[in-house]
Amino acid sequence: MRLPPLSYNVRSLFVRWSSTLLTVVGIGATVAVLAGVLALQQGFARLYTDNGRPDVALFLRPGATSEGESAIQRQQAQILIKETAEIERDAEGRPIAAGEIYLAVRQRKVDGGETNVAIRGVQQPSFTIAQAKIVEGRSFTPGNDEVVVGEALVGRIKGCKLGAQIQLNTSPFTVVGIFSCPGPSSSEIWGDVDRMGPILERPNFSRVVAKLTDAKHVEAIAERLEGDKRVPAKVIDEQSYLTGQTAALSWTLWVLGTFLAIVMGAAAVFSGMNTMLAALASRTHEIGVLLALGFKPYSIFLGFVFESLVLGLMGGVVGVLMTLPLHGVRTGTTNFQTFTEVAFAFRVTPTVLITAVGFSLILGLVGGALPALRAARLEPCEALRRG
Amino acid sequence: MRFPWLLVFKNLGGRPLRTFLTLASLTVAFFLLCTLRSVLDGLEAGIKASASDRLVTQSAVSLFVSLPDSYQSKIRSVPGVDDAIRWQWFGGIYQDPSNFFAQFAVDHDRLLDVYPEIQVDEAGAEEFLRKRTACLVGARLAEQYGFRVGDRIPLQGTIFPRFDGQAWQLDVAGIYRSTSANVDERTVFFRYDYLDETRRANLCGGPQGAGVYVLALDGRSAPEAVSARVDALFRNGPQAVQTTSEAEFQRQFVSMLGGVPIFLSSIGGGVLFAILLAVLNTMLMAGRERTHDFGILKALGFKSGVVFALLLLESIGLCLLGGGTGVLVSVASEKAVGGAISLVLPTYEVSQETQLLAASAALAVGVIAGVLPGWRAMRLEVVDALRAEV
Repeated sequence: MRLPPLSYNVRSLFVRWSSTLLTVVGIGATVAVLAGVLALQQGFARLYTDNGRPDVALFLRPGATSEGESAIQRQQAQILIKETAEIERDAEGRPIAAGEIYLAVRQRKVDGGETNVAIRGVQQPSFTIAQAKIVEGRSFTPGNDEVVVGEALVGRIKGCKLGAQIQLNTSPFTVVGIFSCPGPSSSEIWGDVDRMGPILERPNFSRVVAKLTDAKHVEAIAERLEGDKRVPAKVIDEQSYLTGQTAALSWTLWVLGTFLAIVMGAAAVFSGMNTMLAALASRTHEIGVLLALGFKPYSIFLGFVFESLVLGLMGGVVGVLMTLPLHGVRTGTTNFQTFTEVAFAFRVTPTVLITAVGFSLILGLVGGALPALRAARLEPCEALRRG
Repeated sequence: MRFPWLLVFKNLGGRPLRTFLTLASLTVAFFLLCTLRSVLDGLEAGIKASASDRLVTQSAVSLFVSLPDSYQSKIRSVPGVDDAIRWQWFGGIYQDPSNFFAQFAVDHDRLLDVYPEIQVDEAGAEEFLRKRTACLVGARLAEQYGFRVGDRIPLQGTIFPRFDGQAWQLDVAGIYRSTSANVDERTVFFRYDYLDETRRANLCGGPQGAGVYVLALDGRSAPEAVSARVDALFRNGPQAVQTTSEAEFQRQFVSMLGGVPIFLSSIGGGVLFAILLAVLNTMLMAGRERTHDFGILKALGFKSGVVFALLLLESIGLCLLGGGTGVLVSVASEKAVGGAISLVLPTYEVSQETQLLAASAALAVGVIAGVLPGWRAMRLEVVDALRAEV
């Protein structure tokens, strides 16, 4: 058994170029929508999952699901830091751990409207733990009404630029620096925890964060402190915590993407099928010739499926090309698990590319199967008589 | 010579499979367009339905900073304010965190007066006043979890955890219905005094004070003037406030979605573009196949315009039929889709405006997709057309 020359099928696509072009762009638009939703989900999820580290431990109030609702008294925080031996020490022998206050505050967006931005009262070790670096200006002076802002806020939120002022309740704070760090903290405003406490009326810390000597200690600490009488705390590593924060939005985007893929995919399959049926109708005579030359119906079927797969693949490539300009485009939405706005960029990752191309091949396969079957079932004499 | 109307229909039926496939794509596409637009509408529904005679006072700093209880009497004495009631987001978990619904502690004795859109039977309203642990449950929420009057709802406190580790117990006093989209039917209202007494007795954690105050106006002052008066009252602390219309208050939650609405609109644009190409493809195929027919028509003496109109009308007919079916499907599936997304979006309705807009879009697609093949057919020379293969 021989396959018909596949170049015959490919060249047939170009003979009917206008029809092929319309189908390819149509499939491309479908693939692009799916890829766009996926790129959004990837950009959001990877911001969190790629940047959480397993050897950073978070201490929260027992039962708290996010730092927004957590509270740890200051004396308790001191005990926690002092008595947890697994915390790494710096060159001077001090534990790399910090008590932090977290609050979503109201800010105005540059392009209008209001949003919630995370403000964090931090201690010096926070910078080390978050791998945050000042990229412009300087750090805040402890005790002063000064803050530094994450670089992802610059240009998005009013007042988030060097020298500007941010009003917190009754006090204005001066922006003295811009910091950069991996992960969602680059959408935060940082200030001295001892100034933020009274201003935001948060007498307690929201969490204690610590760098551990080894990631494997997290579980042991969690177990030890879960039922502790004096300083009960929920301990979780940063990676698990951040991944948990993305669950709801990732799920929503996943559902949206699947829904769109199925619904738009159906429309694209119908349209692709139409193209292939028209191709078949105008080539009945040629198929008759192929059959007369001794090609088996089975080979004709495979040839047509191949043609349809090529059509789908071209659509997939066009779709991906339409999505590529999105890569790196910054957008923002509120993470409703923390009620704060996070800025992130669309990311056309290999996962997106593979899914998009795979999807386009499925569209081609499903759309081409029926016309290919029809082609294979033609009677040689009948077919030769046509056209 | 009369216009050959019958040919339009005959042509549509000439390739039943192709017509069916095109119609199916159109149906799917317009169903999707209506659904997307209705979702966008739903996001705005709460804003549009907001009452104009109510204001909301919240902390100027953050959604998560409470206002002192002492503010209530001060706000009530501001000229133009008829009443001010406290609202506190509770954030309790019913059995499992995935069972998400809103719970608010409110001033129970004033709630139903300030919110006439909350409708509850008399027995329920009385029980709500009498029992300290009473609550009112939205009809859709009650339906979802099977809550009935007299049931006890256990809620694990997250913002207000009880120190004994137990869940809070709320007794269902009544099931409420809402007559307006600004109050959904998926909320539990319970008594502020219950929360406050537990808090004061030091039986639970959590912040003191109320999340927001809802102000009912007496209509004697302009709402903007009242806002300014209230804000001025607390300008120097202890907590600066921001008083806005109810619509503005709702808008901040929609505003939080950031790029999402634009994103949904672009998806709609993509759908429309893809379907336009699909219909254009079908019509080009139809035009090409019928070249010989057009030759005959022209030979018979039909004007070129007739040939053009034939293809244009066929395209429009196809789109209106397919698009119309899509709109019908979206209307028919309104309940099912609305139910599936009620957690994220309480209001989902395929409005008449949406239907009309979709129908116009279908017409536009039909016209655009019919013009090019029609123009091609119009310019055919009779001899060439007749020579074309059948």
